[in-house]
Amino acid sequence: MTRVSRNGVLAVLAIVLLLAVPDIANVTPLSFSIIHQGILFGMAAMGLNLLLRHTELVSFGHTAFFGAGAYGVAVLTAHYEVSNGLLLLLGAALAATAIALLVGYLVAGYLDIYFALLTLAFNQVLFAFVLQSGFFNYNDGLRVRVGADRPSLLGIDRWLVSTFGADPIVAYDYVLYYLTVVVLLVMVAVTWKIVNSPFGRALDAIGQDRTRARFIGIPVDRYVWIAFTLSGLYGGIAGGLFALLQLHVRPEPVLFVFVSGEILFMAIIGGIGTIVGPIVGGIVLIYLLRLARFYFEYYHALTGLVLLVVVFFLPEGILGSLPTFRAGLERRLRDPTLVRGDAATVSTTIRQRLYRAATTVRILVFGVK
Amino acid sequence: MTDATNPAANGGIDRRDALKLFGGSALAVALAGCTELLGNGDGDDSSPSETGDGDVPDEPIQAGLQTFREGAPAVLGVQAEYGAETAVRRINENGGVAGREIELDIVEEGSEQLENYQQFVDQGKDVTFGPISSGGHEAMVPEIDDQGVINVATDGTVTTLYEENFPDTTYSFRFQNHDVMEALSAAKEAVEVLGADNIDTYAGVNPNYAFGEDEMALFSAGIEKLTGAEEVYNGTPDLAADDMSTHVTNINSEEPDVVFTSCWGGDATLLLQQAQANDMLDNTELVVGTVLYGSANDYEEGDLEGPIHGGSRNFYWDQPTTDQWTPAADLFDEVQDEYGVIPTAHFMSGYGAVTAWATAADKAVRLLGRWPDQDELAMVLEEHGFFTPAGYHVMSTDHQGYSSAHFGEMAWSDEIGGAILENVNVYAAENVSPPPGTTSLDWIDSW
Repeated sequence: MTRVSRNGVLAVLAIVLLLAVPDIANVTPLSFSIIHQGILFGMAAMGLNLLLRHTELVSFGHTAFFGAGAYGVAVLTAHYEVSNGLLLLLGAALAATAIALLVGYLVAGYLDIYFALLTLAFNQVLFAFVLQSGFFNYNDGLRVRVGADRPSLLGIDRWLVSTFGADPIVAYDYVLYYLTVVVLLVMVAVTWKIVNSPFGRALDAIGQDRTRARFIGIPVDRYVWIAFTLSGLYGGIAGGLFALLQLHVRPEPVLFVFVSGEILFMAIIGGIGTIVGPIVGGIVLIYLLRLARFYFEYYHALTGLVLLVVVFFLPEGILGSLPTFRAGLERRLRDPTLVRGDAATVSTTIRQRLYRAATTVRILVFGVK
Repeated sequence: MTDATNPAANGGIDRRDALKLFGGSALAVALAGCTELLGNGDGDDSSPSETGDGDVPDEPIQAGLQTFREGAPAVLGVQAEYGAETAVRRINENGGVAGREIELDIVEEGSEQLENYQQFVDQGKDVTFGPISSGGHEAMVPEIDDQGVINVATDGTVTTLYEENFPDTTYSFRFQNHDVMEALSAAKEAVEVLGADNIDTYAGVNPNYAFGEDEMALFSAGIEKLTGAEEVYNGTPDLAADDMSTHVTNINSEEPDVVFTSCWGGDATLLLQQAQANDMLDNTELVVGTVLYGSANDYEEGDLEGPIHGGSRNFYWDQPTTDQWTPAADLFDEVQDEYGVIPTAHFMSGYGAVTAWATAADKAVRLLGRWPDQDELAMVLEEHGFFTPAGYHVMSTDHQGYSSAHFGEMAWSDEIGGAILENVNVYAAENVSPPPGTTSLDWIDSW
């Protein structure tokens, strides 16, 4: 099978899988709601990855845009009684874009740790502002309901209720999920288009060497600013959908700086070299963050262990490592004696890492000499 | 739903036809995941009311508690956990609820109160308890009404929650006294200690979030009505602040008659330590705090020197005095043996939430002769009165718990190795909370 046709089959399979998530959750212990949340955070991570993968800029403040989108929706419902889902998502997109434009303008000229710290600082400022503001109802947050009613999702959910007698809550959850899938597919298509466009190539050039990129005529700061804004827009839409799913927005889950770290982890876990890897990372990490606590007392350690495994053994992320993994598996199926070499490699790797750790400790305690 | 694994059930469709239908049909893709939406999910259409059929089920009651088990709020949350565990242990040792034992799962609430509740419901819990966080509680209430599984919050005490934001909730309840009760008890305690004529000025140091804002607004309204005092300083430190000296300095310069605080946990400890270090207790007549006593296990002797009066919401183990009411003393001994801590009002948050639900369920079974569904249990919980070692409690029609509040002078006890209250005053619920249907601020305004 050619690579193109194989990718096509995989894409169709992924879409079918996405569409079937509610039924899969019905017949398995998987949680529909958690997968939905994972996809939404994954969408924000996909936006972040636009920066990370191409411009090689690490943002520690991307939940600012996720939170801006979520609060955009919440403010419109709580203070202005807007209940049209489309208008609410538009509000989310506008709020996140406005903040991304502002922050992006201020940080686009910075590199490395300065860029990372500036994004973190803006995130923290926004979090503190919302937390201390009566308009945003402090840490109690805002409801995404007009009275007790959920927003209307293009009228489809209510049509399903009136025509088929569907349960209103189930109808809302399903329509919102499929709306998320549609938005996700559009985002993937747009991202694919961007990364394969001259603009995407220019971002790659900026990531590789800013000075050279500037020498060949690329308006570096402006392109980074645009990429940053696009990235924030992705986060804002994801945050808006998250608000519609949770129906209540509070500062900690959507604006706290640690959530920015989580979004970054999602991109890394899924694979920053891929377009949809962050979605996989989002689902995996949200599962660990939300549900591990129900099964493991030291669930924080579990999250850390998974990250260690990914960094040490799957440096390309879950999705990014699949081709290497598959090729390795095929080779071992042909020649099982390679497994012995694997064991030796693992043993050597562990020995080397322990030696390196001991060396680091020795340097810390006794100095370089 | 078509059973794809059984050809007889689906009209004899064979594997080839099924694959053709699934693989070749866009409709199959379009409808993927929609079976529940179209009403053909698992075929289980039974509503909760149809499950009870004259009998009480044999299986244990599945309950879930979310509380803070780590970080700064654990000073409150772990007490609630101990309280809930103790109530469950006692209930199970005494034959359970109408013969059914309770199995309690406990989970860290973090900032995911809504998700935790949803997961508990997904796991098929019969009842859920918690959270501590007022913000998390607010986020949960509409979801609780959507899901229809009763939650009895241990805390989350913001007054506006049930008064204004959710006056018509069905399945959401809160055991602990709410903010108006403790803020007004604090105001009345100040008047009791100093006399209304001697209070001309007051200041506040309250955590910078909804709970702190709520407490200060209610205390201000109450103290101004009772004494005509004027606010001279209002400090709002962030949660888990690492410095309170700005507030201490401002209070020292204003020298108010009363300082009110609803700081809790490490913030309460830090405030008192820096107040002692900077002689704040010499520059004010009284420090009165609603949740100060919640840190009873964390203070050192020197932290409590001076006129500091703390509240213990609806539970102080020495009130009523143990010669009149031994259950509280028995509970204190049991908790000391089991956990080695002084039980605080947050212990009673967990204990009382479980007891409120369990006694209501027991009552409902006796009334109905069968296990109640969620609607019936919610109905019984409204206006449900019950005893705990802290005395008599009522879950009112507004879904808030009411019982007496205790305030007293904080002192150090060598015998106990922690903080105690001396000269305790007890404030009856009707004196520190509005009648049903009236909001707290309107009620105070009408004094």
